[in-house]
Amino acid sequence: MAQVPQRRRAKAWSLWEGRRIPSEYEVISHKLHYHFRRDPAPFELDPNTPLNQWYKKYREGSPFQVDDWEQFRDPDSVTYRDYIQLQKEREVYLDNLIDEFERQDHYAKLSKPWVDLLEQLYIPSRFSGHILQMVALYMAQMAPASYITNAAYFQGSDEMRRVQRSAYLAKVLSLDHGEHLADSQRTRAIWEDDSHWQPLRELLEKLLIAYDWGESFAALNLVVKPVYDALFIRQIAELARSNGDTLLALMHDDFGLDSQRSQRWTTALVKYAVERQPEHRTLLKDWVEKWTPLAYRAVEGLAPLFAKAPQPMQSGKVVEAVCDTHKAFLVEVGLE
Amino acid sequence: MPKLDRSAYYDLTRDMNWKLRYVSEEEAFPEEQSKSYGVPAEAWWEWDEPYKVTYREYVYNQSDKDASTYSVKSAIARSKLFDQVDPGWKSAITAHYGAIAYGEYLASIAEARMARFGRAASWRNMATFGTLDETRHGQLQLYFPYGLLRKHPQFDWGHKAFHTNEWGAIAARSLFDDMFTANDAVGTAIQLTFTFETGFTNLQFLGMAADAMHVGDVEFGSLISSIQTDESRHAQQGEPTLRILLSQGKKEEAQRLIDVMFWRSWKLFALLTGFSMDYYTPLEHRSMSFKEFMEEWIIKQFIDQFRDFGLEKPWYWDIFLDELNWLHHADHLGVWFWRHTVWWNPDAGVSPEEREWLEAKYPGWNDNFGRYWDVITENIRQGRIEKTLPQTLPMVCNMCHIPVCTPSEPKQRHIAPYVSEYNGRRYQFCSEPCKWVFEINPERYAGHLNIVDRFLAGHIQPPTVEGAYAYMGLTPDVWGEDAENYAWAFKKAEGGKATAV
Repeated sequence: MAQVPQRRRAKAWSLWEGRRIPSEYEVISHKLHYHFRRDPAPFELDPNTPLNQWYKKYREGSPFQVDDWEQFRDPDSVTYRDYIQLQKEREVYLDNLIDEFERQDHYAKLSKPWVDLLEQLYIPSRFSGHILQMVALYMAQMAPASYITNAAYFQGSDEMRRVQRSAYLAKVLSLDHGEHLADSQRTRAIWEDDSHWQPLRELLEKLLIAYDWGESFAALNLVVKPVYDALFIRQIAELARSNGDTLLALMHDDFGLDSQRSQRWTTALVKYAVERQPEHRTLLKDWVEKWTPLAYRAVEGLAPLFAKAPQPMQSGKVVEAVCDTHKAFLVEVGLE
Repeated sequence: MPKLDRSAYYDLTRDMNWKLRYVSEEEAFPEEQSKSYGVPAEAWWEWDEPYKVTYREYVYNQSDKDASTYSVKSAIARSKLFDQVDPGWKSAITAHYGAIAYGEYLASIAEARMARFGRAASWRNMATFGTLDETRHGQLQLYFPYGLLRKHPQFDWGHKAFHTNEWGAIAARSLFDDMFTANDAVGTAIQLTFTFETGFTNLQFLGMAADAMHVGDVEFGSLISSIQTDESRHAQQGEPTLRILLSQGKKEEAQRLIDVMFWRSWKLFALLTGFSMDYYTPLEHRSMSFKEFMEEWIIKQFIDQFRDFGLEKPWYWDIFLDELNWLHHADHLGVWFWRHTVWWNPDAGVSPEEREWLEAKYPGWNDNFGRYWDVITENIRQGRIEKTLPQTLPMVCNMCHIPVCTPSEPKQRHIAPYVSEYNGRRYQFCSEPCKWVFEINPERYAGHLNIVDRFLAGHIQPPTVEGAYAYMGLTPDVWGEDAENYAWAFKKAEGGKATAV
């Protein structure tokens, strides 16, 4: 029997290359996508089976590549355990907030014109929010490293959080202001037929079929989500405040925390990739340029509704504010 | 607390189904990601989950669970409990972590696939929770073996196994990728959540949790129970999917999906759970035999489920019932013999007392398997360990990737291997159903090489058993040795009876 050299008792996974001890986050997130760039195919089936081909084309075949994605870290280093703990605290906060406003009979005190506006501008957003959830989870399942996948899983979950709170509001408003607010058919009809929503709907439906992993990331996290959140979080919160709907404003301030978390890891990923492949600055900018016009058209579609509020916000100002917010983000990310 | 109960507004959390206008249905839900089976879009919108849950409930409930699971872990880490646990049990959990930790995390990709390509908003929501669940399960089952690295380097395989071409890892990947990682959303709902999760794993985990508590492995027991509480939530995606297919007259298609994956699941399950229950779990802690477990939980339960849906028992049911008597015994013998090809220490589980138990539970065991173990036992006693190790590779099935075993009872009608030819290449299978799975869908499997194919094609260098160990990523510090260092071979039967030789 061959002599086996004495080894020090292992302190980290053998596949961990770092000299230091990995953090808990790294222990459970590191190198889990063994199937990325695997030969002859990602999955243990015929190499040409449809999903092997899909991944080879849209993930391994994406122009958005670096040699090693495994050194990327989510700056918030969120594990499942962390995510649940964090969001549980936020959900408790929202519950208490809602509870407090309900105790003061908040919904009944809202004006009819304001509630009518919510039906047009806010309540249908569970359709658009649901698509953001779907796309985040698509991007997640296509990402080349588990560090990226996990961050995107949590982003998709955040979208579901926001959608479900809006569903609650739709119902609870309907108790004081009319059943139509909780009528799925009516809400869906606005989403499908109202002209204000069509540019956004077009944007999101096209986003659904952006199957290249890099384009999916760039389109969603560099354009669509930041623009959408600027409109549906920041601008909505401001509009709500002006119109005395403090509950809606405060809820959206809270959703803003989720949005910022997404922007932090997005920024880190762009910096990571560009550091390793400077030409990715151009690649990402090209994708941003491709998707931005449709995204801004979506904002232009919905902005006129802001002017219909009892305390209106000028449509042009809303559009400008969203574009400014987006551009500021692109500067921060190094793509402007 | 907000004034509305979940039931008051739940419908509005799941009504986000709409007709696509700016892209086509086929573009947004391509068949390779989401087989429609010709069922129209609006029929899918009827998808209705039995267990309802909202995001806020999810984070509340899961937060409590994680708090208690991790605190058990910390408490155990400070104690010496693990050191006292039976070596066979240690082997069982080492095998478990290597095969399952990555399997769970891969399932998160499958859940994410359903969260994007599921054909109803309600389904997509449930799958989003499923994605989170499987992320949890993957992370937990990596964190726990990581904490045991100091005890044995084999726990490294909790992280490493799926990166290798160790044959068990190939078998696991072949099953999981077919079932979910490389499956469309509808297939995944039927094959992963319905067939595998409700059919097999639910019960295996329950069984393992109970055994762990008996054995004194409190940490593992509480980990597994906690994981199990998530399972029924995301496993429920199968039923509504099945209902829709059946209501649209797609019974044959549904039956086929289930039949394929029940068989494939059985093969891996027999291997891992078979040896765990009947050989590695200490004798005094075995509550039932593997066969009894299968009969009580899986067969009875599954037949009921089939009947409820108006489905039939799979065509190969008699073959399956027959394999219950011998397959896992043969698998176990093979795994022990080829122990250097696995990352855990197989526990022979054939001390005189254990052999009595095996004969009682499986009449004829001594004639069929005992006589092989007799030869092994004698070789060990004579110091001829090298004769208890292999010189070659076994024949391996091109479907399940598990070595081909034939019952040693010649009156059995099975012959091995079963052979199929496709596009000029020969494929070998362990059983009629494995061959059938291939033949009804050869393009899905045909271009894949099993480990023996690779050996014959020169991928394994040098082309020796040593070369095979290296190809599989196994080195002497981690490969399997007998769990008791052969002590069992020197035990005498009770009352000084000589053991059969």
